[in-house]
Amino acid sequence: MAAINRRQFLKAGGATAAFASYPGLAFAQGIGTSAPFPDYKALVCIFMFGGNDSYNMLVPSSGAEYNVYAASRQNLAIDQNDLLAINPLTSDGAQYGLHPSMSGLQSLFESNRLAVVNNVGPLIEPTTKDQFFNQSVVLPPQLFSHNDQQDQWHSLKGSVQSNTGWAGRVADLIRTNVADQQMATNASLFGNTLFQSADDTIAYVMGQQGPIPFLGFDDFPMSPEQRAAFEGVINANYSSIYERGFVEIQRRAVASADLVSGAIAGARQLTTQFPATQLGDQLRTVAQLIDVRDQLQMQRQVFFVAAGGFDSHDNQVQAQPGLLGGISEAMSAFYDATVEIGAADLVTSFTQSDFGRTLTSNGDGSDHGWGGNQLVMGDAVRGRELYGTYPRLEIDGPDDVTGGRMIPTTSADQYAATLAKWFGIPDTELAIVAPNIGNFAARDLGFML
Amino acid sequence: MVRIKLVSLLAAIGLSLAGCGGGSSGGSSPPPPPPPPPPDTVSKAEAFQLLNQATFGATEAEAQQVIATGIEAWVDDQLQQPASLQLPYLRSLPRPQFLNELQPDRIDIWIRNVLTGDDQLRQRVAFALSEIMVVSQLSALNDLTYSLADYYDVLARNAFGNYRDLIEEVTLHPSMGIYLSMLGNEKPNAALNIRPDENYARELMQLFSIGLVELNIDGTQVVDNQGIPVPTYNQAIIEAFAHVYTGWHFAGAPGFQQAFGNDFNQTAPMQLYPDFHDTGEKVLLNGTVIPAGQTGDQDLADALDNIFNHPNVGPFIAIRLIQRLVTSNPSPGYVQRVATVFGDNGAGVRGDLAAVVRAILLDDEARPELPMEIDGKVKEPLLRLTQLWRAYNATSASGRFPFGAGLYFFGQGPLLSPSVFNFFSPFYAPPGEIRNMSLVAPELGIATEYQNTLVTNYMFYQAFVLTSEAIDLQPDDVFINIDEELAIAADTDALVSMVAEKLLAGQISQPLSDEIKGMVDRFAPTDAAARVGEVIYFISSSPEYAYQR
Repeated sequence: MAAINRRQFLKAGGATAAFASYPGLAFAQGIGTSAPFPDYKALVCIFMFGGNDSYNMLVPSSGAEYNVYAASRQNLAIDQNDLLAINPLTSDGAQYGLHPSMSGLQSLFESNRLAVVNNVGPLIEPTTKDQFFNQSVVLPPQLFSHNDQQDQWHSLKGSVQSNTGWAGRVADLIRTNVADQQMATNASLFGNTLFQSADDTIAYVMGQQGPIPFLGFDDFPMSPEQRAAFEGVINANYSSIYERGFVEIQRRAVASADLVSGAIAGARQLTTQFPATQLGDQLRTVAQLIDVRDQLQMQRQVFFVAAGGFDSHDNQVQAQPGLLGGISEAMSAFYDATVEIGAADLVTSFTQSDFGRTLTSNGDGSDHGWGGNQLVMGDAVRGRELYGTYPRLEIDGPDDVTGGRMIPTTSADQYAATLAKWFGIPDTELAIVAPNIGNFAARDLGFML
Repeated sequence: MVRIKLVSLLAAIGLSLAGCGGGSSGGSSPPPPPPPPPPDTVSKAEAFQLLNQATFGATEAEAQQVIATGIEAWVDDQLQQPASLQLPYLRSLPRPQFLNELQPDRIDIWIRNVLTGDDQLRQRVAFALSEIMVVSQLSALNDLTYSLADYYDVLARNAFGNYRDLIEEVTLHPSMGIYLSMLGNEKPNAALNIRPDENYARELMQLFSIGLVELNIDGTQVVDNQGIPVPTYNQAIIEAFAHVYTGWHFAGAPGFQQAFGNDFNQTAPMQLYPDFHDTGEKVLLNGTVIPAGQTGDQDLADALDNIFNHPNVGPFIAIRLIQRLVTSNPSPGYVQRVATVFGDNGAGVRGDLAAVVRAILLDDEARPELPMEIDGKVKEPLLRLTQLWRAYNATSASGRFPFGAGLYFFGQGPLLSPSVFNFFSPFYAPPGEIRNMSLVAPELGIATEYQNTLVTNYMFYQAFVLTSEAIDLQPDDVFINIDEELAIAADTDALVSMVAEKLLAGQISQPLSDEIKGMVDRFAPTDAAARVGEVIYFISSSPEYAYQR
């Protein structure tokens, strides 16, 4: 592997410095100690873009509850006999099944590797139907809008347009504890995201199969000189904010491409078979990067991967098996890969999505909703359980604010805080990660061991 | 430089006249331009700046044209150019069994139009509109190539028309009907818990016309007494519009049903099937009530009028078009000047896009005398490529440009957005100084480490491999003509100067120039192709080339 940073444009610590702070900004508070973490942990956010119709992912299967579900969902309902039965260790009285396409996750649930968090979504404070309609609570702005609710999940900021994401703030808080890491704490395999963006740290964005090298830097008659000249250009001073914003990215790209792709090339050949999908590719790359965590001196990593196509306004019945089956197959394979690389207890995967969807049909699909069910997977998860209250899936019922849009019974702040606490954020700093957590009784939903 | 001031002074006078209630013709065109100003020089740098705002890339030849005619006359001439279209070309090709096989031909005709069409400004505005009123091939539309081409033609034909006509054609276009599921949307059926599809109702307002929050005419947000932005609509209003947009399906279908693949109805506006339209009362924006019992056509006309007349549309469209053409962070004054023209083109007409585009390009702020660090923008990756291709008369042995690799390398292509939210958000603010100043740089939303590497690598291919000097090119490989450079390649200074003139109007920075010359001099004077390759690669991948002044 070629050396990094021939011009030493970002001195001190090689690639780490490529993610260094912007001068003049206050450092994040930190977690009260700068001691390196003694262990490795990774969070893997699997984002379902478009808004997953998750009341068809986890469905009540017992008679009375199923009948309410079926009456609400009509032509979008999954047949009761097709549901894949699960047996939570703790019962809320009803029985549940997973979507028929999710056999892989059914097995993981039954073997305690997977949990479901029921009806979770952005909230500022606990919200009842009455409070929603008489406007006596503060609500997240622009409910039911894709990008705004993605931003809410990512930022947890509430009523003000926010600049930072919760994984970004986590990375800021632990920056002195992971000072030797050669990559940024946050890495995305699906483009820029607010989730991983913060004041003092920034995510490294690679392709679904990792970064690619710059042509001419390693395989050209003048490679060392070519690279040096390129670095000379991107390290020059520029007078516009746009050029400066552009060269920031180029600098990180040049500094990390060889490092990261070289590391991936050194990962073991995984025997786990991943589905030939974008999500499968992304999760394979994540597994490879986790495999070489020691080589990269990584202690904490947050990966962002994603799948699209969940905005099922149309043809939902036909599309959902592929969408949810794709999630199940890719997540199952990823779990197997973490076992293969000996990291199943170090890696926690969790899903997020824009919103749940309306229980009512628009004819052949569903529209934008609010709360939804999410999945958490890994050996550090207290699996085979459903967390939080499953809502009553009744049109105009106590949890519905019109058309079958469920008011979340658990907040995205609680969900994030539980994950962040496992990741090493002390209780005293959780409010930086999850700003609304103080408004909710439970700061820890209990789904992590 | 003096000339710019004169132009904007005239524009300002025009505006104030309009504000006094002038406007006699009632036509949809702006008043005839004032007589040409006294010959005043436009610098080449200024001409390049205009052309990178208004075309698919400045060229020496077009810059000479601007210098000869003056900026205002050049813009006015462009506003008269008829649209280069896509559908007639696709129809002229043999119809394949599966229309998705024509998608490369759709890319081909788009590239040819934007590289060589005389209607450069129209094509540039159409591309901007395609990033506002988004439909994408990456959907069920992959199989409806004629429809996509026709949608783009709608944008091109209406680019200088009236916004009200544009949103009606967009609304009823089968591509949009499929993409945002208005096609087949039917009236409620309470027994089955079926209610109208809200997809188009929501996105037409959020993304194509008014946005989520109330705007002042200068584009700043209206906030309540607690500093919270005021929403433009709520869920009830979305549901009302969703009811309006019921009853529409493919034209000429035997009933309210799918008729996929029919060449006629994938381009004809959607047709109303009255039995499937909801005829109840609807309460729209600003409390406007559509009475019960109207036809679907009447409902649609009223609803589009309701949106069109919302005060947000002017500043909303002004900001988006300014961002696509000129600068990421227009001043409130610039937005207000353009939004005012949207409200009234000087002849009493609202929504005249030709007048809006003219106001954008002829504003002082489009080419300020003393540029600030926040002026200008990052060029979209695809526009960096088209500029290079135009500057170097790119062609292929086949004469075709079915550039399938474009989406991979540049993260962009015509009607190839990953979602209705476009390739990047108008609000994207990268962490660091831009975000800290509460500014935005939308194009940096896709300028990830990964995508930037791909763009840079493509420029490497183009400069070293895909040139007129190359051998063994495939018939459809797009190559640049470097013959002029090869002829002087032994002279380092002259070579760098030639490329810098073609791509940067000669405004190359000292560091870039020094680094390039250092590299070029490592190659023997006889190693012409490598020397030329280095210069084109370094300039086309440079920050200063990625920056649109």
